[in-house]
Amino acid sequence: MLPLCSRVLLSHPFSPMSLMALREQLNMLVNSMYIEGLLDQQFQQLQMLQDASSPGFVAEVINLFCEDAERILTELTKDQAVVDFQKVDAYVHQLKGSSSSVGAQNVKLACIQFRQFCEENNKDGCLNALNVVKHHYYLLRNKFDTMLQLEQRIQAYDSKQQN
Amino acid sequence: MEEEAKKERNEEVESDGGDGGVEMVRVLVVDDSPVDRKIVEMLLKKSGRMFEVIAVDSGEKAMEVLGLSEVTIGRPHFNDQKIDVILTDYCMPQMTGYDLLKAIKEHDSLKSIPVVMMSSENDPQRISRCGGIGAEDFILKPLKIKDVQRLRTYAVPRTPISKSGTKRKLPVDLVAENSGYETCQRVAKVAVA
Repeated sequence: MLPLCSRVLLSHPFSPMSLMALREQLNMLVNSMYIEGLLDQQFQQLQMLQDASSPGFVAEVINLFCEDAERILTELTKDQAVVDFQKVDAYVHQLKGSSSSVGAQNVKLACIQFRQFCEENNKDGCLNALNVVKHHYYLLRNKFDTMLQLEQRIQAYDSKQQN
Repeated sequence: MEEEAKKERNEEVESDGGDGGVEMVRVLVVDDSPVDRKIVEMLLKKSGRMFEVIAVDSGEKAMEVLGLSEVTIGRPHFNDQKIDVILTDYCMPQMTGYDLLKAIKEHDSLKSIPVVMMSSENDPQRISRCGGIGAEDFILKPLKIKDVQRLRTYAVPRTPISKSGTKRKLPVDLVAENSGYETCQRVAKVAVA
């Protein structure tokens, strides 16, 4: 829980101190995501690609990843009574690829385990693995949502300062 | 007139060019993953403005860009968009990167275009298969800046790219340190909505 002074300052979105608090909050959030294993160094690579000429690059990649991941998870959740292991493996392969490209470490690792169960034609293993992947994905998505909200607030403040 | 024709063609596919009037290496990026397409496009954009990117999401669309598709009406115009190098994912639904590579290398007008494969997984058999039919290289995903920079070593620009007119030698450190192939695990072809 943030100290009272920070909470008061954050309620005034364009006060000078709130920008610092927002940046600190964002840094703390991202650092915690690395520490908890939600993100790996690939995410840093994406951050390094973002600059003044492409200020929304990371947000775009995150949004593309989330759309793609949710499409795949929806497909994987269908028709669980009969498991087509090859089809499931293909979907999980896609999700593993995109999570690797974004730096979504826990999701990627869960997908690797999931594919192992597919190779073994292990239905129970696959169903459990799906739950694990979902758990890690939705945890990550919540943090990404917070991250993007903070970035938007920081950018709004910067835009106001420039005008 | 050439600019207008170019503009018309570019409206059909994603395209991000660099400075007007400077010939750059034109890369056709083929990847069904929107995340990977976005990242590769940005990596190419950040590589010193050497690349002009055309990105498509399937082997079939790549075939259209290259003029190989049956969809092309009338007399086919091969490589109308003057692609200098193709960077394609290996694992794609329906038409894989291998299928695309094969189609290109079997075509007299297009077989000289360098094709570089991308993959997220290691599979020595697959790498040697692609190398056996003419792939220039195999790059492991996720790509880094140094990976895309070495595309320059495969492509031969159509005209000099330096605005000042002086020739630029490719720095030694941009030459591929490791041209060994990476593998890609076989994935069943699945129609993805």
